[in-house]
Amino acid sequence: MALRELSSLEKYLGQKKANKYSTQGDKKVPVLQNNNGPPLVGLVTIACHLAKEAKRPELLGDTAESRAVVQQWLEYRVTKLDICTKEDIKTVLKDLNLYLQDKVYLAGNQFTLADVFMYYGIHPVIVDLAIQDREQYVNVTRWFDHIQRYPGVRHHLPPVAVLRNRIYTSRHH
Amino acid sequence: MFMLCVSSCFRATEEEQQAQSKKALKKQQKEAEKAAKKAEKQAKMASEQQSAEEDDFAKDRYGVSAMVQSQQKLDRELVRVQNLTPEKADQLIWLRARVHTSRAKGKQCFLVLRQQQFNVQALVAVGDRASKQMVKFAANITKESIVDVEATVRKVEQKIESCSQQDVELHVERIFVISQAEPRLPLQLEDAVRPDGEGEEEGRATVNQDTRLDNRVIDLRTTTSQAVFRLQSGVCQLFRDTLTKKGFVEIQTPKIISAASEGGANVFTVSYFKTSAFLAQSPQLYKQMCICADFDKVFCVGPVFRAEDSNTHRHLTEFVGLDIEMAFNYHYHEVIDSITDTMVQIFKGLRDNFQTEIQTVNKQFPSEPFKFLEPTLRLEYTEAVAMLREAGVEMGDEDDLSTPNEKLLGRLVKEKYDTDFYVLDKYPLAVRPFYTMPDPSNPKYSNSYDMFMRGEEILSGAQRVHDAQLLTERAIHHQIDLEKIKAYIDSFRYGAPPHGGGGIGLERVCMLYLGLHNVRQTSMFPRDPKRLTP
Repeated sequence: MALRELSSLEKYLGQKKANKYSTQGDKKVPVLQNNNGPPLVGLVTIACHLAKEAKRPELLGDTAESRAVVQQWLEYRVTKLDICTKEDIKTVLKDLNLYLQDKVYLAGNQFTLADVFMYYGIHPVIVDLAIQDREQYVNVTRWFDHIQRYPGVRHHLPPVAVLRNRIYTSRHH
Repeated sequence: MFMLCVSSCFRATEEEQQAQSKKALKKQQKEAEKAAKKAEKQAKMASEQQSAEEDDFAKDRYGVSAMVQSQQKLDRELVRVQNLTPEKADQLIWLRARVHTSRAKGKQCFLVLRQQQFNVQALVAVGDRASKQMVKFAANITKESIVDVEATVRKVEQKIESCSQQDVELHVERIFVISQAEPRLPLQLEDAVRPDGEGEEEGRATVNQDTRLDNRVIDLRTTTSQAVFRLQSGVCQLFRDTLTKKGFVEIQTPKIISAASEGGANVFTVSYFKTSAFLAQSPQLYKQMCICADFDKVFCVGPVFRAEDSNTHRHLTEFVGLDIEMAFNYHYHEVIDSITDTMVQIFKGLRDNFQTEIQTVNKQFPSEPFKFLEPTLRLEYTEAVAMLREAGVEMGDEDDLSTPNEKLLGRLVKEKYDTDFYVLDKYPLAVRPFYTMPDPSNPKYSNSYDMFMRGEEILSGAQRVHDAQLLTERAIHHQIDLEKIKAYIDSFRYGAPPHGGGGIGLERVCMLYLGLHNVRQTSMFPRDPKRLTP
């Protein structure tokens, strides 16, 4: 899973030559053997490295504040989203929905790596969500649809049909 | 008297006591004391009552009436609670009602008197018409007892919010109990009409559905139930009136039948002398035979049985079917138009004549008003599948609609066309019964249709095969024993007009019109796989 995400990111960054990865441990943590340095371990670490190599530092945030926010959401992705149970997911969606209420992207008005990896991570959840639930977490759904249509991001994931109109207006049906 | 009793008790049991343990002795002693105390209390009450009776000037103005055995024909007009309006102010009237609640406060006792879905406040106050004892008597009448009351109607300054008759109250002059209710009720009416979630903070009780259904007689007294079943009666009446006006004939069909009409799986078997019979799943075969017998347009209101073991919010094992069958000239859409127009007339009739009932139900179960279009929206099955696919549902062209997809489609249609009622036409032939006419332009589809209210199916219908040859072929295709449906097939051999029809579930129509969540709420004595009583 993580390796496919990294290869999709490479494609997004326009890298011609694909890197070779291996995995480590039970949780299949990705490892990148760097040519001129120690190996890089972990999804977020490798992703940040790839963004820098591609000379796209803005993907990590261009102010000190947005850099911090991006790191925070990347951290959230691997420490919270990736290990959450079916019951937890509702809390995650609720929190995320509230957070995205007044934002286009996770870091505000700018597309970053945080959007990419939260999108990859939350995709299986959104696929399984009933239309009524998608409507309930309407900000998450809006953001998700926006990211999946963002040029060059989706790659290995199937598109999710998202309704543009609300169909559940009353709370009783 | 107290001492006497105790000592006699001791003496009578002295010998037995020797054999008993000390513990038992103590217990007995306690019991004896209890009995004595009780006797004392009773005596005290009796003496009080006696003394009270002596100086009660109003003792003829209240009491428990003798059982009504039709001893006398009283020339007394009983006024209906709903007619208690300010126009009746200062009149002395009689009425019969139930005691909904009573609340005593010093020298006054407030009663809420209820008659069906209407109620009014009544007041018994100590004065020249009522004595202290009468007020006490009124306060002690058990809830749900039926009383005859003579009272003066008085206008009130401030509206009484808790009653349906807000502008007047009754000043009671006489009150007689006609039928006394037991003091303990299996459920409280106020608890049964409380909207979901309300009163949760105060820790008030709500009554769950099984308790309601177990004590259906009491539950049916609630304003909500009263409104639901008045509206249901309205649906039947509007159905009959509309169809009669269109030239339909009402027929009665047997419910004990020799063969299952739509697939053998969900049919009840009953023993019938030396053989067995089935309970009709629909009057299908009979209404078709009536068409062959030149009745042209028929309808039928009666019980329908399904032995489906499904415990869902919308399945019953016995329900009331409103069935229609009619001959048409050239296209079965003539039938659809006729049925949808009937439904629209019902919706309009309910909207115009049952507003009070709808609002009463809405108080407990809020829902959006029911919306429909004129003429009724008709979608083809392929269009519906396309709409669902667009919303991300994966399904095959000829798959039947699952319940969640049905509901989702209802929401999509509502959003696009703003209607809660629509027809879905041209179902795949494979998912319909054997007597369904195939579509002439595409044999995978059929001339059949379902109608939906708020995204749930209420009617299933189709053009029927009126050709004995094709009917036999379809029956063989569905592996039906031809011997058992011989009479049915034979009826088409002697000239049968093209015809179509459909069957509606009365309970579902009421449930979905009112936006309720469970079909048991609109069935007076529901039958499901787990319930056979009351």
